[in-house]
Amino acid sequence: MRLPRIPAGLPVAALAGLVLALLPFTMSGYHEALAVQVAIFFIAILGLNILTGYTGQISIGHGAFMAIGGYTTAVMSHYHHTNLILTLPMAFAIAFVCGVLVGIPALRFSGVYLALATFALAVSVPQLSLKFSKFLGARNGLQTSKSVSHDWLYGVSWSCAAILFVLAWLVLRGRTGRAFRAVRDSEVAAVSTGISLPIYKVLAFGISAAFAGVAGSIFVLATFGYAQPDEFGVILSLEILVGAAVAGLGSLWGVLAGAAFIGLLPFISSSAPLIGSNHGEDVVRGLIVVAVMLLLPNGVAGLLARLARLRRV
Amino acid sequence: MGVRRFTGDLSLPVLAGLAAACVFLVVGCLSSSIFAQQTVAGLAQGVIYGSLALALVLIYRATEVINFAQGELAMATTYIAYQLTQWGVSYWAAFFLTLAIAFVLGVAIQVTVIRPIQHSVIAVVIVTIGLFVLIDGLVTWKFGADLKFMPAPFGNRVYHVGAVTFARQDLGTLVVAIGSVVVLWLLFKYTKLGLAMRAAALRPAAASLVGVRVKAMLAIGWGLAAVLGAIAGLMTEPTTFLQPTMMQAVLLYAFAAAVLGGLESPAGAVIGGLALGVFLNLIGQYIGFATSELRLPIAFAVLLGVLLLKPSGLFGHRKVRRV
Amino acid sequence: MGMKVKRVVTVLAVAALAGAVLATAASGAPRKDPGITSTSILIGGTFPLTGPASLYKTIPFAEKAYFDYVNDHGGVNGRKITMEILDDAYDPSKTVPLTQQLVEQDKVFADFGSLGTADNLAIWSYLNVKHVPQVGIATGDSYWGFSYKKYPWTVAFQPDYPGEAKIYGKYILANMPSAKIGVLYQNDAYGKNYYAGLRVGLGAKSKSMIVSAQSYDVTQTSLTQQILALKSAGADTFVVFATPSPTITALVTATKVGWSPATFINNVSANRLFLLAAAANGAAVDGVISTSYLNSSTLPALAKSPGVALGNDILAKYAPSLVSSFQKGDGNVMYGLAQGWTFVYALQHAGKNPTRASLVKAYKSLNTSKNPFVYPGIKLQTSATDNFPIEQEILIKWAGGGSGDWVPFGKLYSGVR
Repeated sequence: MRLPRIPAGLPVAALAGLVLALLPFTMSGYHEALAVQVAIFFIAILGLNILTGYTGQISIGHGAFMAIGGYTTAVMSHYHHTNLILTLPMAFAIAFVCGVLVGIPALRFSGVYLALATFALAVSVPQLSLKFSKFLGARNGLQTSKSVSHDWLYGVSWSCAAILFVLAWLVLRGRTGRAFRAVRDSEVAAVSTGISLPIYKVLAFGISAAFAGVAGSIFVLATFGYAQPDEFGVILSLEILVGAAVAGLGSLWGVLAGAAFIGLLPFISSSAPLIGSNHGEDVVRGLIVVAVMLLLPNGVAGLLARLARLRRV
Repeated sequence: MGVRRFTGDLSLPVLAGLAAACVFLVVGCLSSSIFAQQTVAGLAQGVIYGSLALALVLIYRATEVINFAQGELAMATTYIAYQLTQWGVSYWAAFFLTLAIAFVLGVAIQVTVIRPIQHSVIAVVIVTIGLFVLIDGLVTWKFGADLKFMPAPFGNRVYHVGAVTFARQDLGTLVVAIGSVVVLWLLFKYTKLGLAMRAAALRPAAASLVGVRVKAMLAIGWGLAAVLGAIAGLMTEPTTFLQPTMMQAVLLYAFAAAVLGGLESPAGAVIGGLALGVFLNLIGQYIGFATSELRLPIAFAVLLGVLLLKPSGLFGHRKVRRV
Repeated sequence: MGMKVKRVVTVLAVAALAGAVLATAASGAPRKDPGITSTSILIGGTFPLTGPASLYKTIPFAEKAYFDYVNDHGGVNGRKITMEILDDAYDPSKTVPLTQQLVEQDKVFADFGSLGTADNLAIWSYLNVKHVPQVGIATGDSYWGFSYKKYPWTVAFQPDYPGEAKIYGKYILANMPSAKIGVLYQNDAYGKNYYAGLRVGLGAKSKSMIVSAQSYDVTQTSLTQQILALKSAGADTFVVFATPSPTITALVTATKVGWSPATFINNVSANRLFLLAAAANGAAVDGVISTSYLNSSTLPALAKSPGVALGNDILAKYAPSLVSSFQKGDGNVMYGLAQGWTFVYALQHAGKNPTRASLVKAYKSLNTSKNPFVYPGIKLQTSATDNFPIEQEILIKWAGGGSGDWVPFGKLYSGVR
């Protein structure tokens, strides 16, 4: 028997956890709110990475799963006054089921067709809240019955991030993770070693969607409990994908960088010195995305790996 | 490695279905003037979806990627045309000048940011998403996001045929878009360049063996796609007017149209666009449940339905996966 | 006798002491609110400087220009007003952290003028929990005015949408009793509130008079389908409840499909520039009816009004880039000036040393018809139970085609809400 290998990054992660726990004592409410944004994207990108990075199924529809999680929280709290903490596992479960339901037909698609099919989801799901406006509050949204403080949000969001990170790590290092990677690297080879393609592909979709669901739930809480269709637009799905690319697909260690990139850029680049405050944001964001893909094709995780190799030499 | 047939026959059931749909439309148009008018309006919209879908297909055939920035590129080139008219260039001179600029722009983008990462589909997709954001930001920075207006290319005349009214604008859009598709078809079918491009797209290895400059052909493909996008943008302007968001919804419908027709079939993209335009208008008119908030979801439901029944689209060919 | 005098003196002394204590409690050293010093007051808001609604971006800059003008004339009780303008691109999920930045980082005295219904909804409870005034918000939904008990720190500004729509209903009922109405509305709360107001205005006859109502989605690239549906339903009166760009498209499309109904458009889209654009693109715009509550920089009848002259002076000095759109009749600039004036008026009436509470109180006891940037005769009026500052509007009708303008007609409609 082999002892589980502890990756070099684990002490780093523990240290990061400690720093995160101590930070709120030094931060203003505004900075805490920004940190919550990063946590939200951390969870969502983690989820997408499991799907795209480990099983090779591309999704441009994770905003839809965030919407499902977010509306789960809003509906439970608005209509049933459920404790907000309890809505998080519920969002996880419902998004998991939705992910599985999407994952089954997705078995028939691959590559760009899957990208477009999931993109269709990202476009259509928020529209549905307009159609069922009585129940879901249409464009003005649905609000949770309680609102929460910065500290609460900060604590809950980063706790969720930590729990889900460990969960992802446990899933990916074991048998399931090996099966995922086998599916990604060669479906034919995976099948010939006895791996059931449909089960693992659908499972990956479910887990990935569940992560996005929790992210969506916290996203809604961070918007003072308002679930609105405009928050879950197509851009959100694209942002998650971009964040995953910046992080580096197929590795968990760059996720924080990807999340910080997506979560903080709107607020940092709105004061871009080069072209004035008004439209700096999009120009800077677009340029960085293109530059990262050209210069760091494997994202930050790839960079970290390269640095690690350099040190060893 | 996927192997594709590239003969362009349609399968029989699809052809029969298309013929039936045409008969249905003709009968409908003859029996109801509102049906006729909705159909004409749907065609005018659909041909714009089709043009942009065709641009997507051109790039997909060559490199199996989807250019998410296609719509924003179309929007940016429309702004270029606007700037030209502001400088006093007449509409149609600006139109053709813009097409030339769009071609150069498309080639330049392919050479500078796409070619280096061409091997990875996901990297290209993400770069095009980056371009989407970048182009949007640049245009808003330069021109602002308030509405701008260009001269009406076909004037504002309206023709009456019986109880049916045709706007010159809609007819003009149809003529320009269909004309550009025909020109493109002639280019591919009857010129050496077209042949080389088809070869480079479908059998790159074999093509380069017989002396086709595959890299250059791919760049030209991006250029032509940008030209088609510019036409779609310029034909959209009279209804949405100039604003940075003008092509975003069109792109979504173009995705649906392209998949509907099968991502590899140029004819399919155009027919897919037309079908989608007419279909959405008719269900909006006759089916009460299909209110406006369901327009996009319905378009994508059609897309998903077609994909599930015929994963390669109505006009595509099934890829054979070999071990 | 001696005893009595002593008692009187004691009573008087106690009374005097008590009075002094009360007086100090009332006037002396009030609790300091953030964002205000003896020489300055900091306010801020979120606006769509970019994104789909960025055509409203002239509003905050007109407001700022008005404050700069006031500052150069001594400020309000010696305090200069600084206004922070943040860009939320009309995206509520950005409004939230930006508002947190304003309140917790920059420590503004009040959130002023923030634009957009969804955006203000997202920060509604936050600002009220934090006891930060949310005043002069730029949205016409009716719940801002009606929810004053639950959200005492929020006061809106412009007439509410359903109230405006009621005017069209009443006008049609009185002047076009046999009209067959076709309604085009945006498929969200904004459009639906308007549509509901129209039905209230039409009363019992709304069912029979409205022959068709079509909604559109913001992602639509053409409105031809909806407009053909209205035309084919036999409508001869066209009521549009939309945002500016779709409104222009609707007017153009109606002409294109050969439909020439009597047309009503809502105030939000009745900017002169938009009608000129519609006309230039072939729409028949003569006779289109809307409402206004603002002064006009282009109407001959109002060109000499003090508000227009003052507006021109202020913009020339403090916001030269807005002058040309102001002179072309961009109502957003006038709107910003009117908002700025109202804030300054409220601040002047919030006491020598304003607090957040006294500012909101002043916003809830407006009573003036002196705002030079609203339509002459319109009164800004609020009370503890009436949180709608403007409740009067005037009907306007377009004349003069592609170089024309709005012409006010009829009497002021009051009690709009």
